[in-house]
Amino acid sequence: MFRTISQILLLSLFTSIPIAAQEIDLANHPGKAIYQKKCVECHADNGEGALDVDVDPLTGNRSIDALAGRIERTMPEDNEDDCVGEEAKLAAEYIYHAFYSPRAQNRGKTIVPDVTHLTEAQILNSVTDLIGGFRKGNTSPEIERPGLKGHYTLDDRKKAGNNNFKREKFERTDSQLRFDYKEGLPNLPDGMQSQMTQFKIEWQGSIWAAETGEYEFTLRTRNGAKLFINEHDNNKQPTIDAWVAPDNEIREESEKVFLLGGRRYFVRLEYFKYQEKSASVELLWKTPHGRRETIPSNSLTPDYMPKAFVGTTVFPADDRSYGYERGSIVSRVWLDAVTSLASEAADHVVEYVDELAKTKADDEKRIEKLRQFAAEFSARAFRRPLQPGEKEKYVDSHFNKAPTPEDAIRRVVLYSLTSPGFLYPATAFDSPDSQWAKATDLALAIWDSVPDKNLRDAAAKRKLNSPEAIEKIAWNMQWDGRARHKVTGFFEHWLELSRTEEVAKDDELYPQFSDEMMADLRTSLEMFLDDIVWSEKSDYRQLLLSDQLFLNKRLGDIYGKPDLKSNFQKVSLPDKGRSGVITHPFLLTAFAYHDNTSPIHRGVFLTRNIVGMPLKPPPEALEFDDSHFPPNLTMREKVTEMTRAKACMSCHSMINPLGFSLEHYDAIGRWRAKERNKPIDDNGILETDSGDRITIEGPRDVAEYAAHSPAAHKTFVRQLFHHTVKQPLLAYGDNTADQLEEIFRQSGFNMKYLLVKMAITATQPNVPKS
Amino acid sequence: MKALTNRRRFLKQLGISTGAAPFLTGLPIFGADAGAKKKRLIIMFSPNGTIPGEFWPDGEGPDFQFKKILQALQPFKERTLLLRGISNRIGGDGDRHMRGMSCVLTGTELFPGNIQGGSDTPAGWASGISIDQELKNHLQSEDATRTRFGSLEFGVAVPNRADPWTRMSYAGPNQPVAPIDNPKTMMEKLYGKRADKESLASIVDDVRDDLTKVSSKLGNADRQLLDKHLQLVRDLERELSQQDDDATLAHPVPDIDPKIELVNDNTPRISRMQIDLLVNALANDMTRVATLQYMRSVGQARMSWLGVEEGHHGLSHESDKNQDAFNKLIKINQWFAGELAYMARRLADTPEPGGDGSMLDHTMILWINELGKGNSHTLDDIPFVLIGGEKASGFNMGRYVKLPPKTPHNQLLLAIANAMDHPIENFGTEMFCEGGALNINNLPQIEKPKTKPPSGKPGGAHPG
Repeated sequence: MFRTISQILLLSLFTSIPIAAQEIDLANHPGKAIYQKKCVECHADNGEGALDVDVDPLTGNRSIDALAGRIERTMPEDNEDDCVGEEAKLAAEYIYHAFYSPRAQNRGKTIVPDVTHLTEAQILNSVTDLIGGFRKGNTSPEIERPGLKGHYTLDDRKKAGNNNFKREKFERTDSQLRFDYKEGLPNLPDGMQSQMTQFKIEWQGSIWAAETGEYEFTLRTRNGAKLFINEHDNNKQPTIDAWVAPDNEIREESEKVFLLGGRRYFVRLEYFKYQEKSASVELLWKTPHGRRETIPSNSLTPDYMPKAFVGTTVFPADDRSYGYERGSIVSRVWLDAVTSLASEAADHVVEYVDELAKTKADDEKRIEKLRQFAAEFSARAFRRPLQPGEKEKYVDSHFNKAPTPEDAIRRVVLYSLTSPGFLYPATAFDSPDSQWAKATDLALAIWDSVPDKNLRDAAAKRKLNSPEAIEKIAWNMQWDGRARHKVTGFFEHWLELSRTEEVAKDDELYPQFSDEMMADLRTSLEMFLDDIVWSEKSDYRQLLLSDQLFLNKRLGDIYGKPDLKSNFQKVSLPDKGRSGVITHPFLLTAFAYHDNTSPIHRGVFLTRNIVGMPLKPPPEALEFDDSHFPPNLTMREKVTEMTRAKACMSCHSMINPLGFSLEHYDAIGRWRAKERNKPIDDNGILETDSGDRITIEGPRDVAEYAAHSPAAHKTFVRQLFHHTVKQPLLAYGDNTADQLEEIFRQSGFNMKYLLVKMAITATQPNVPKS
Repeated sequence: MKALTNRRRFLKQLGISTGAAPFLTGLPIFGADAGAKKKRLIIMFSPNGTIPGEFWPDGEGPDFQFKKILQALQPFKERTLLLRGISNRIGGDGDRHMRGMSCVLTGTELFPGNIQGGSDTPAGWASGISIDQELKNHLQSEDATRTRFGSLEFGVAVPNRADPWTRMSYAGPNQPVAPIDNPKTMMEKLYGKRADKESLASIVDDVRDDLTKVSSKLGNADRQLLDKHLQLVRDLERELSQQDDDATLAHPVPDIDPKIELVNDNTPRISRMQIDLLVNALANDMTRVATLQYMRSVGQARMSWLGVEEGHHGLSHESDKNQDAFNKLIKINQWFAGELAYMARRLADTPEPGGDGSMLDHTMILWINELGKGNSHTLDDIPFVLIGGEKASGFNMGRYVKLPPKTPHNQLLLAIANAMDHPIENFGTEMFCEGGALNINNLPQIEKPKTKPPSGKPGGAHPG
């Protein structure tokens, strides 16, 4: 419901933000004379730097204010008072517009999106959805009812081999599969009585895979059981076959399954208890970043899911040199992976071709239907209708030449999935303005996948013809698990979660630390992010300011909230200053040494990712070595000592106060009052880029500052855009970055809305001037 | 899943990326030119007992005549050894089909468990390793006899369920080994994805043309990426066209249709494909131990290709007086004998790589069944047939020998292990190994009174 309200509210905002490309008269700009007089000697005419002076070119992402602040404080070198106040501002404005800003750097050029191929996530999702689109009921609705549907059958089969036995049946939904029946029966429904000791239960429904990766499923039972994940056919190999139960002993059997995140998959567990004395069954999993646990009820739902093709080919890592993943490198390993995935998909399509083409073996029109299917498959792979001549070339020729129709299908699939039209989506369209191109841009931006039926219909009916129409569709697309998964991927990048995979702590100092603790903390952090992003307000500032977090019993015991239940729940900690992701114990633990905090790691992370200030690499790399300092010093004192030099302080004047603000949190993120019996000092003065001096008293002040800092917003918007669209912002208009920031601010920092706007932006790339 | 893992590991050892693997037709062969004489073992299984009156020959010793069921073996009569009187005496839990199946190669009891057969107590998996896996471990432990796979488990029409009726091969207690009954899966395990290679070859020129076309429309920067891609596709195209010329295999990949549907009526074709793949894998020395499992114990194959529409197991329960069922069971067992003969023929027609004679000369085939007779469920007089070269086993072939009744089959398993140069003295349940391996070239005869019958709990007693 609230969706509609915010939609209307925000729609009106969109049209009211006219940030026109104001042209600055550079030739007569008053800053030009100042630059020529006071800066040009070192920086040269266009900021490129004089040949005999060691300076970096004047280009970057700082704002005019930030440039002005730096000029005021640091320029000209050795005569810092010569260019201050209004002069510094004018110089900064000139520098910014003349050559510093990305836009200035590209003046006169039209930046257009680069032609790139699908990333690993995009190709895997696209192939899965391409095939799934031909199946019935292929939707991924929200989980509403947790648990799996259980079909219970109780038999009185005292006499072995006797076919005339008594049988009773009932059904119910079980929220988790973890039962110890000991020597008895399952709980019976009200009013039902039975003396039977033999029973069979078939649970069915679906499981939610939040992330992409290997899921290890474990069956723990004393009896016979078979588990099928994403396999509907009883006659096929079960994922785990534990049907034979020797000795009535507890057994555990595990198997790994690769699943794409943001999707649900069919699951069935068949279980039976025969004459064995005791009975128990439990279904567990270990998610890619989780710990082994009974599958939680909110990951189970009794709804049916059709089979999904999930490719298992491993791709080489995507190019990250731009600061985000994009398909800008081809290699033999990559080509082999593409071919291998295409061949996996071809196997699958041929195996299920009658289902996918909606025909059967004895259908008179089978061949005709297979041809139609093949043509439709390649059209959907190119994400547009086939053009004249393409059907003859890419489909009919194979049906005419291949020994069997199945061979022809195999070739069509192999071709479609290895062709440039599929791999480089932009190359399939004559113009980025085409309806099909827009549908493709939306599907990639929001789902990393191919357009679904709704999008294809919209394109075919030319409905993607205004930002308003596209916005409506984009909102609906956000309600899909794949959209959530894509946003989760952004947070992984923004919060550098992959850095944390090999965290270890000193056993004696932190005996509580374990892999399980880290897995729980990651779950806690992900729940926190999900809770805010997918709430009504979706307020970015709450990521930094919220004083709540999700804890279960294990974490509650460690972080000073004892007596919690085993499930995660939202709580506030009594500690002073807990503030959103900034003090989330997962990040505090990850950005710390094995035996102590690390204000430098924490400070660099906060500076770059949260406050949004660029940092240069250190002029000389110094390894922090605890043994170099007198043992009675606090961590703060050691870091202060180590970074005292002026060369260090140009960055550490920022890094240190931010890092010190978290000194109340130890190396696993617990609150502490003292270090080495000295009270913690978490105060400091933050010298911002624009020259302001901000008093910081603990992490809440950092959060407040970042939540309201334009530089932080700019960084967040830029990173989110790159993750979403995987192209440079300038390829979508000179002012798009400013506009998105403004929209973000005016919407109350609504991240869902920002994502929708970014998806719309993705459909409006610059067009090359011909 | 397991096969994939092994394959990945194998390719890794070779330094070949799995990405490149789909295009490999042949892989280097280990030990192809090893000087030492190779010994191979094939174990073939067919279910539900036989018709003894038409299975066991007339006559005795070297002077015997095949009856109906074994007629197809006539060309190999001089290399056939029939041993009557061998019994699977393993007792304990499980019905006779289960024990017949899961103890025939393990020679040891089943664990108690939850799987109920038509009679007796419920049971679980076998409690020990099977002889094929024991020999695999032995051969793989030495450089001279190590092969790429060590053993291969083929199946024909084996249903996709794991229980003591479907598994005869065990890597250890509670570790059943599933046979691969899909020729395509086996083909890929042995030779990589050749079928895809052909399909790929038929589309790669289209991809190349499209890349050329698309690339020509792009600006310089974008074109570089597509041109690199184009270059890689050209390389691939060249490799695809060259590969057949420089195959590294001693024996070419068999020409089979990997798209065959795994349905009952295709069983005869699947059977021949699997045999071809098996013989080929042996010829290329990918393994020296192989099993070939037809259906399963209690299998209900409907052999419509023989004009038999009833299920095999159902027929095997019919009374001896049911002439129709009797004739059909003879046909069914004749068909299995025919498949065995085909396998022997393939081996006999293939020269031993780098050695003397034919491959059959260096191979021992053991045909087994889980029962002696279907309608009595007896585990006595199991129709064991040995075919092969004396070079492989050292056994004097061309004989039909009647052993003292209830000779434990553990002693035969021991004899086979010893013939494969694995001199073990016990295998499976120890009390049935008393007296050691059967001395095949000097077998105890039925006429002579046995000096000391094996002691211990008589297994396989049947109440009804």
